[in-house]
Amino acid sequence: MPGPDKETDLTERIEAFLSDLKRGGSGTGPLRGSAETARETTALLRRITAQARWSSAGDLMEIIRKEGRRITAAQPSETTVGNMIRRVLKIVREEYARSRGSSEETDQQESLHKLLTSGGLSEENFRQHFATLKANVIEAINELLTELEGTTDNIAMQALEHIHSNEVIMTIGRSRTVEAFLKDAARKRKFHVIVAECAPFCQGHEMATSLSKAGIETTVIADAAIFAVMSRVNKVIIGTQTVLANGGLRAVNGTHTLALAAKHHSTPLIVCAPMFKLSPQVGRLSSLNSQFTICISGEILSKVNVHCPVFDYVPPELITLFISNIGGHAPSYIYRLMSELYHPEDHEL
Amino acid sequence: MNEEELVEYFRAQMRKDPDMASAVAAIRTLLEFLKRDKGETILGLRESLTGATDCLTGVDSSVAVSSGGELFLRFISLTSLEHQVSGLPGTRPFLLHSWTRSSSREILGVKLVTFVNSVRQDLSRCKKVMEERGELFLEKISMSRAKVAKLCHTFIKDGAKILTHSYSRVVLRVLEKAAAEKKRFSVYVTESQPDSAGRQMADALRKLNVPVTVVLDAAVGYVLEKVDLVIVGAEGVVESGGIINKIGTYQMAVCSKAHNKPFYVVAESFKFVRLYPLNQQDVPDKFKYKADTLKTVKNLSEEHPMIDYTPPSLITLLFTDLGVLTPSAVSDELIKLYL
Repeated sequence: MPGPDKETDLTERIEAFLSDLKRGGSGTGPLRGSAETARETTALLRRITAQARWSSAGDLMEIIRKEGRRITAAQPSETTVGNMIRRVLKIVREEYARSRGSSEETDQQESLHKLLTSGGLSEENFRQHFATLKANVIEAINELLTELEGTTDNIAMQALEHIHSNEVIMTIGRSRTVEAFLKDAARKRKFHVIVAECAPFCQGHEMATSLSKAGIETTVIADAAIFAVMSRVNKVIIGTQTVLANGGLRAVNGTHTLALAAKHHSTPLIVCAPMFKLSPQVGRLSSLNSQFTICISGEILSKVNVHCPVFDYVPPELITLFISNIGGHAPSYIYRLMSELYHPEDHEL
Repeated sequence: MNEEELVEYFRAQMRKDPDMASAVAAIRTLLEFLKRDKGETILGLRESLTGATDCLTGVDSSVAVSSGGELFLRFISLTSLEHQVSGLPGTRPFLLHSWTRSSSREILGVKLVTFVNSVRQDLSRCKKVMEERGELFLEKISMSRAKVAKLCHTFIKDGAKILTHSYSRVVLRVLEKAAAEKKRFSVYVTESQPDSAGRQMADALRKLNVPVTVVLDAAVGYVLEKVDLVIVGAEGVVESGGIINKIGTYQMAVCSKAHNKPFYVVAESFKFVRLYPLNQQDVPDKFKYKADTLKTVKNLSEEHPMIDYTPPSLITLLFTDLGVLTPSAVSDELIKLYL
């Protein structure tokens, strides 16, 4: 019988996804890039929409929220999962509004205007049933998936506008987006790249190898040498794990140092981040997970506390420009992009 | 409702609930004025409301009352636009037609009276809608402090040391909520001369069992190295994203910037004001001094201003009932409302 089979199949897939996430976080499984995580989350949400039992938009949103809470609890540091869930929730709201025929443009955000003109306490409970809602939502999710697939290329396409010949670019660690960005520029321009190795995992080494294979002159430096070398750098281009709502970043450790050094030398700091990394969280995240521990052998292990935070918070004042798949933005504009991507009620899942 | 009744109603509202924001009391008073108004046209209504607002600012010259009044006027315009009440016969083509056709004056007279009656009905219908919406609006904004507190208290971590300025009911609400969430924190409050409002704040905080220290206004720089974050209220939030608040706030903001401490502002959305000051001089005199001072004193340059302007570059985040906003998002909100 197709019914129960679908249900168990669905729960199996969700469980598999959850365990994958958990393994990826603890460092034992294969490290996955955020783009991959985003794509898989969206595909999973599409499957939930197609296979789970729901009769109205409200039910669907409740199901998605419930699964979303479980998934984000499994791996709190992987924010792309939460972002995709919020995107899909917004899609459901929009499709519902479109089916009802009302223009949701003005209704989305809380604003002074809305406070003054609304006729009644707006209790939108999404209970109406529409036959075409399922198909519309799945189609919209497919569009989202297509958008996700093209993000790295869209960002890389903008490379030529920002990188000029004979420039010295600095970056840190390994970011697939920045890699694609630099490789695209290298097709037409000749420039030099300095990569900070980003201890303790030294992903900068892999980045340097990959870039030099593409024919770019690369130099690897230790993290401690960032400030010393900065005077010779024209631009700093970095990737990030998350972009926060106030325009700040949550990026790999060492990025804050890099940003401060760049500010001191008045070097522009460009962040290449696709839109799915934009998260509604604001400000300093206190639980910067120190999940990874270093192996120290010998007597010292019992006498010393080792803290190894994985992520840094970079405040928005240190950032010059964000390059995303929809173009370049100033950090002070991020709040606006957020209001277009997510509905305020979904900020808390 | 004449001037004395207006002022008396306003004062009564403030006395009845000392916790109410002055802008809310002003809007409540104006709503009452609207209910009792006997005007026949929207234009007349707007004019009398403008007069009423001026009268209220004569009692309490703070920015908040002025912003509350402007918001109410905007509310009236938006509602009346929606209901398209017009008093011009030119918009009623059937009447024009019957004017030329009818020969009897009596029929014309009757038609004119029915026209006037229909306009009056339109107006009274519109006023009814305004009154309903007004009550709804008041209900919503009375919940705004709770919304702000809910947003802001998560930024207060356990063991935090907070610095605040003068007496702000919104900040008090935020700290109440944080204390209710069992967070341990301590507060430094500036005395805030010339009215020592800071002591009132300190008393209120002691009742909540929060450890509080009153410091001199001049000691802000001295105490900032011990502090983790600064939270202040605002009397008005201007278009650029800056704020107008009790004198001494600007000083605190500059010092926090120098010490790299986050400077948070908590304000309800009805305090957004259509002003764009570029420096301290640009803030209009009518806000700087108390209403009685403005009326009695001739030479204002001898008086001490009661408020100052803090530019947006010194503010980290604004917590409002519309959400957590960066200073650049404030002008967006104002544009959405007024344009």
